[in-house]
Amino acid sequence: MVQQALNGISFGALLFILAAGLSLIFGMMDVVNLAHGGFYMLGAYVALTVVQRTGQFWLGLLLAPLLVGALGLAIEPLLLRRLRGRHLDQVLLTIGISLVIGDLIGLVAGREIRSLPFPAGLDHSVPIMGGDYPVYRLFVIAFGIALAVLFAFVHRRSRIGALIRAGVDDAPMLAALGVDIDRLFATTFGVGAALAAVAGVIAAPVFGVFPGMDVDALIYSLIVVVVGGLGTLSGAIAGGALVGPADTFGKVLFPQFALALIFAIVAFVLLLRPTGLLGRVRIAR
Amino acid sequence: MNRFALAALTVAAAAVLITFPLWSSGWESSRYATTILRDMLVLAILALSLDLLVGSAGLPSLGHAAFFGAGAYGAAIVAQRLGNDDLLLGLGAAVGASALLALVIGLFAVRAAGIFFLMLTLAFAQMVFAVAFQAVDLTGGSNGLAGVHRPQLLGLDFNGPDALFELVASLFVLVVLILWRVRSSTYGRALVGLRENERRMRALGYDTTRLKLSAFVVAGALAGIGGALSGWSLRFVSTNDVGIPRSIEAFVSVLIGGTGSLLGPAIGAVVVLYVERVLPSSIPFAETVLGLMFIVFVALARQGIVGLGRAAYRRVRA
Repeated sequence: MVQQALNGISFGALLFILAAGLSLIFGMMDVVNLAHGGFYMLGAYVALTVVQRTGQFWLGLLLAPLLVGALGLAIEPLLLRRLRGRHLDQVLLTIGISLVIGDLIGLVAGREIRSLPFPAGLDHSVPIMGGDYPVYRLFVIAFGIALAVLFAFVHRRSRIGALIRAGVDDAPMLAALGVDIDRLFATTFGVGAALAAVAGVIAAPVFGVFPGMDVDALIYSLIVVVVGGLGTLSGAIAGGALVGPADTFGKVLFPQFALALIFAIVAFVLLLRPTGLLGRVRIAR
Repeated sequence: MNRFALAALTVAAAAVLITFPLWSSGWESSRYATTILRDMLVLAILALSLDLLVGSAGLPSLGHAAFFGAGAYGAAIVAQRLGNDDLLLGLGAAVGASALLALVIGLFAVRAAGIFFLMLTLAFAQMVFAVAFQAVDLTGGSNGLAGVHRPQLLGLDFNGPDALFELVASLFVLVVLILWRVRSSTYGRALVGLRENERRMRALGYDTTRLKLSAFVVAGALAGIGGALSGWSLRFVSTNDVGIPRSIEAFVSVLIGGTGSLLGPAIGAVVVLYVERVLPSSIPFAETVLGLMFIVFVALARQGIVGLGRAAYRRVRA
């Protein structure tokens, strides 16, 4: 039971990291980035390559978000900016991006299931409440919490955070006040992509690296932001904290219906509160 | 063109299409071409039904494979359980299952709009996928249902590849005619009004929620026909038929071909299936080509191939 609770919390922490980027991009740009799973998968494969070459997990955790973030930074001005104001078309565009990323990864890295070894020092188990528990999952929890605290601090206290809050509230007004909105949007998309890559690297030792992981990640991140609320940091935290344990316990208690149950929850939240439990009350069309 | 000429042209085109296996039988690759064309027509049915939502009513559904899959499973399971390969029974089961599913999902989905409609349809389709994946007794789970029997009707057996092609092509023509009838009716015009200005339609006295729901059910039912044909074509139904990639395939077809016409989604389906099935034998990154094409069309030519063709035609005439 304790094991399952920890599993649920560590899955929730991972979901928070995954959903934070998606939520940030939506909050600022009103774009549901359907290439988010692609960025996640790309992050995992970059880390896999780095680990195979150098054996350094931490180097992978550093390089993957840098590379994927740079890609996001390039994609926003090249593709999305042309369609600014046409939110639905921007969303469709990200479908195309995800197709390209998924296919190119399969082409370069092959289409078989790979695994990333646990990083040295985190590859053993510790006794907790009468059972052994893998340290890496505890690390995921700690990492997620640390990231949440860092984000909350940046969000509330820094100039970047002030810009983000202002942009989420009213981007056109922010532009009218003289803020370089092009740069802000490009940065947002880059950071969002980088966060997906971080989640991909963190998840890789637990869930493996394989084609199709992008779709799984996209679906879960959509669930989290929809339940928690699109476009807010607290929404991503609440969504992760709710969906992670719910999914884990659902799979243990009712294995037959777990998947369908989660989607039923999503559908009802969307119906009752289209902007999620803690989302903004603005519906983009 | 007057009505008579148009009707004659339509009948001629339909006849040419349906008899493809006959007049192509001299070709060296006739069998292969027939198979590819058959699968193109199946995807075209799915894309055409989706375009009733995307193009006419302006409802961007990213979960249309749910109804395709409901049709495929419905036809296969009913035939299997009753031990009856009757064509009308299979089609009835497919249309019934997909229309019912569309009614249930639509009741919830049509209350949302734009991006939220897109996410809601995605979530519901994923729910259907989950059910199909886990209800192993009914659907075979991840193994799917293999050895689906091809149907027969009044002594006509559609088991042979040519006969099956003729069945697929005939039903494709039927779906096109149904959609043509729907689009040119007052009802079809009302759907376009929904896309253009929903608030005004409501002010004019239309029950917009019911209008959207009915379009959702009609589109779902037609997608179900495509699903049944897919199961008979491949003799196999699996969770691939309800998955997100299939929904995306249909959506990409609609957008590449061009929304809001009968020609566009069909052309799009031909292009998509060509890239997915024929191109990989010469280049290994066909899916990338498809993704790039999709990006280019969304960003630069939102009106699709048909729209580009129309613009070029207008320029030539001017």
